[in-house]
Order: sequence, then C-alpha cells, then structure tokens
Amino acid sequence: MSSESLQFGRLYLILKKPLKLLIIEDEQGLRENITTYFNEDGNICENCSDLTSAMDKLAMYEYDCILLDIGLPDGEGFAILEYLKAKMKSESVIIISARNSLDDKIRGLNIGADDYLTKPFHLAELKARVVAVFRRKTGSNKGLLVFNEISIDLQGRAVAVNDVAIVLTRKEYEMLLYFIANKGKVISKTALAEHLWGDEIDMHSHFDFIYTHIKNLRRKLLDANSRDYITSVYGIGYKFKAE
Amino acid sequence: MKLAVLYNRTNIIITVTLLIIGAVIYFFAINYIARSQLDNDLSEEVGEVVDYVSTNHKLPKQVDFDEDQTVFFKTDRKDIQPRFFDTIYVNPKEKENEPGRAIESIIRVNNSYYRVIITVSRESTEYLLQFVGIITLGLMASLLLILFLANRYFLNGLWKPFYALLHQIKGFNISEENNFKLTNERVDEFVELSTAIDSMSARVRNDYQHLKHLTDDASHEMLTPLAVITSKLDTLIQHERLPSEISEQIEDIYAATSKLSRLNQTLLLLTKIENNQVVGNESIDLNALLSDKIKQFHELILAKHITVTEKVGAKKIFGSKYLMDILLNNLISNAIWHNKDYGKLMVMLDDEEMVFQNTGILVALNQETIFERFKKGSKSEGTGLGLTLVENICKFYGWKISYDFKDELHSFKVVF
Repeated sequence: MSSESLQFGRLYLILKKPLKLLIIEDEQGLRENITTYFNEDGNICENCSDLTSAMDKLAMYEYDCILLDIGLPDGEGFAILEYLKAKMKSESVIIISARNSLDDKIRGLNIGADDYLTKPFHLAELKARVVAVFRRKTGSNKGLLVFNEISIDLQGRAVAVNDVAIVLTRKEYEMLLYFIANKGKVISKTALAEHLWGDEIDMHSHFDFIYTHIKNLRRKLLDANSRDYITSVYGIGYKFKAE
Repeated sequence: MKLAVLYNRTNIIITVTLLIIGAVIYFFAINYIARSQLDNDLSEEVGEVVDYVSTNHKLPKQVDFDEDQTVFFKTDRKDIQPRFFDTIYVNPKEKENEPGRAIESIIRVNNSYYRVIITVSRESTEYLLQFVGIITLGLMASLLLILFLANRYFLNGLWKPFYALLHQIKGFNISEENNFKLTNERVDEFVELSTAIDSMSARVRNDYQHLKHLTDDASHEMLTPLAVITSKLDTLIQHERLPSEISEQIEDIYAATSKLSRLNQTLLLLTKIENNQVVGNESIDLNALLSDKIKQFHELILAKHITVTEKVGAKKIFGSKYLMDILLNNLISNAIWHNKDYGKLMVMLDDEEMVFQNTGILVALNQETIFERFKKGSKSEGTGLGLTLVENICKFYGWKISYDFKDELHSFKVVF
C-alpha cells in the first residue's frame, strides 16, 4: 500500500458477505421483483405475504434486513416491529408503505424501523437504502468501502482511486455510492434524479442536466486511472459495471 | 319583511276589522234592545191611560205621568194604528231638549176620540251607547298596545332561538365538527328544527367524510400498482441489449409513471391540508430555510446560468417544516424551470412578505387561473398542481399569495 492509503489506515474493510433479507409484502408483482433484484446480487432473499407467515419465519431464522409493508392482509406491519422489539432481535427494518403520512413514518421509526420508503420507489433506491441501513447496523458506515481500485471513506466522505485521492462534488459522491450499491444494474435516469434531488422536485425533461454530472464523475474517475465503469444505456439510464 | 312584522300586520288588520264589525253590531243590537224596551214601556203607558179612562171616564192629568210627557188632542178619526217615532223631549227640570221616543195612539173617552202622544227621554239609552263605544275604542287601543309590546318584547324573544340557529347555520363548515343543538329550548318547533338540522349536517358531513376517504383510499391504493409498474420497469431495463425503440418507450413509461405518482402524492397532500391534518408546528427560520433551498437548487441554477439575487432578512414563522419545504421547492423550482438561460432570479424576504421574481416568457400569465388546479403553461411538464399546492399552503397559514408581471419579471408574492 502506498503512503496515501495511510489516511484510511484506521478503517476496516466492509465484509463482502451476502445479505440475508426477508421481504414482507402482499403485492405479488412487487415481492417477486424485489426478490429477483436482490438475489441477482448474490444475496439471499426470502419473502412472505402476510403477518402470520412473517412471524413464523422470524421465529425460526435470523435476517440482516427486513423489508416491511405496513398494509398487510392480516394486520398492520407495525406488529412485526413490536415483535422484534419484544424478542430483542437485531434485524434492521425498512418500511415500504403506500402511506406517505408523517404519523406512520414517525410511528415506524419510533418503534424500531431504520428507514421508511414511500411507494412507488425504484428498486435501485431500495437497494441503496438497504445497503446504507446495513452499513449503519454493522458500523461499517465508519469504515472503508472498497470496490476494486476505488476506495471510499464513508465517514470522511473521501474517495481515492488506486490510493490517490480525488475530489468529488457532493452530488458526484452521492452518485458514486448509489452506483456502487447498484453495481451491475441499469439505473434509470428517473431513479438517479429522484435519488439526487428528491422526488418533490420535478426533474423530468431536464435529464441532460444529470448527464453533465455523470460525465464529470466519469472523467474524474478516468483521470485517476480507474477503469471505465460507467456506461450509458441508450435512452434509459446508466450502468456501473460490476467487475 | 320579517315574519313578526308580517304576522303583526295581519294580526292587527284582522283584530281591528273584527272589533269595528263587532262594535257596529253591538251598537245596533243595543239600540234595538233599548228601543224595544222603550216601546214596550210606552205601550204599557198607553194601556195605563186606557185603564184610567175606562175607570174614571175622563182623561188623566198631565202630572200623573212623572217623567213622561203626555199630550191629548181631540180628533175625528176613530181608529189609527199605534205608531212609535223619534222626537225631541223637553226635559222640564233641566229645561233642555233631549232626544226622545214617542208613541201615538187613539183612545175613546165618552164617545169622543183623542189622539194621545206619550214621549219619554232616550238619554239613558244614548249614554249606554256612548259607553259601549268608549269601551270598544279603549279595548282596541289597549289591544294594539299589547300587540305592539308583545311583538317588541315577547315575540322577538320567542324568535331568538331561531336566529341563534340561523347564525350557526351560516357558520357551517363541512370539514369541522358542528353543533346545532339548542340548549334549554322549550318551543317544540325550534327543538325539532335544530334536531333536524343537526342530523342533516351530520349526514352531510358523513357523506363528505366518505367521499374524502374514498379519494384518500383511492390515491393510496393507486400507489401500490404504481410501485409494481416502477419495479417491473426497473427489472425490465436490466435486460441485455434492449432495442432502442423499446428503450424510448420505456423512458416514456418511466416519465408517465413518475408523473402519475407525483400527481397522486400532491393530491393526497392537498386533501391533507384541506382536512387540517398537517402534522408538525415548529418555529422555523424562514430566512435560513430559504437560503438552504436556494443552495439545493445550486446545480440547476448553474446549469441555466441564472443570476440569483438574494435580499433575505430575518423572518421567523410557526408551521410545518414539511409544508414549508414544499412551498419553497415549488416557488423556487418554478422560477428556475420557467426561467430563460442567463436569466435572473430575485428572492426577497422581510418581516411582511416574500417575493420571487424571475425572467422568462415575455407574456404575463393569466392571473385568474394561475392558481387553479391543472392549469399550466403549454410548455410545462409539471403536474399542474404545484401552484395550487402553494396557494393552499399559504391559505392554510392565512397568508396571501399573488402573481404579477411587470418589467419582464414574473413575480410571486407571499404576504404574511
């Protein structure tokens, strides 16, 4: 390791172990797509469609993260959170709900949910949230995220390629993290725009503007002699190569 | 015209008419009775004279008939029908002329015939009639007075619950809890009315709530299918080597889906504001928030090469941070998206107002419809609800929003 890497010396590497996820969602289409999206990445995904079967699974197995819908056919998803709290289980929970009410959000977060995502959401966004929650849970958000020649100090928000620090703007940094969380996947422009600017701001038809940011990020990485990871997928979005 | 006035007017007309008719009838009746009484007496007097004549075979002396005046005239006629008539009576004591009643008849005294006329005073009868007249007039006057007083004090008091109810109905707000119950009301009609109105308002409110819940539920239910579409699209684009035609279609579906979901979220938020279901009331430094927001839009501002001028003074408000975010997001993003390249954006905030001014198209927007739902510029890609949302948020906090176009600047002003 070169001397520059010393600045990251105190940090430890993020373990590359597969995530074990439980998806509790009654909408079949959504459940399947989430499962497929996460499984392709080598994670282990299980799913169920109601509270009862979810409780059964939770009683038997341990998970890293639970994706929890609130409106379930046999009750409210909050029951899962209460169950986890009562059993002192350590699963992270991300609520995925059609209810965009502040009350629900506050209630969910108060009884132990780690994040709250309102439907509809992009799978890429969900993935990024799961990864972030998992990092927080394992403490690796204070660690060093290494992807091939790119290493990211998550706490210091610093990026180095081949141990040479590069300077990224806030949006470029967020974009890089988002890409790495969804590496190997095609990310739509809409998903990217919503991640960077939030969905309250209507970015539609102003996507060229995102392109500028991507171009800058790609150039900075290339200038630091990284491989060319970011490719454009015609008309749809961008892909960050997995290898 | 008020019901009480109308009622009173009718009441008075009927009462007065009836009293007048009654008085006339009374007058004639008493007149008739008194006259027949007098005529009766006169007939008896004639009878007495006849008795006297048959006993004494001579005419009685004048003095024998105390108050009455009797005169005899010798006559050739042997028989006439006794007749009664009104005449003048000369009161011998008071030497006065009084109205009188007289009878004329024929009596026979020793084969000669005399015409006898007996006159009595009608004064006591006249007195009686006058007395009746005065009583009737007095009755009428006191009745009118009583009606007036009753209207003034009693009837008005009687209608008080009605006006109280009317006041409550005028203040009826469909989204609020209303109470139309009258307390301590004794009048059955008003109790019934208030109960009817109360149950009607409850029913209306119930229907309204149902409708609102329907909108709410429908919007919520739409979010899950939208989530399915989005996730399907996200999965679809993972496909290797999609033909470019399909990619373009997918891009459009993405755009439509995200627009639909934004529409939905906005509608939900609008309902929430209208229903006063806004959560959170905290002290917010609007100036700090505004500066933060402008920073958030930094990249967009740079991309369009817009010059931003900030004149932001301190302003503290109480409200929901979430709503303020949305308010500022909408106003700022409008001012940017509808701006021209190398345009200007002026933001002004002080204790009284907040103004956003931006360059853009050189034509004023329609002031009347600009805040209406789904009214938007032909080039706008938005939902058409942004400014409606802005207006509703302002309304919620009792602020006034207005649009103006002057010196090539579109300006939106919020007056606190």
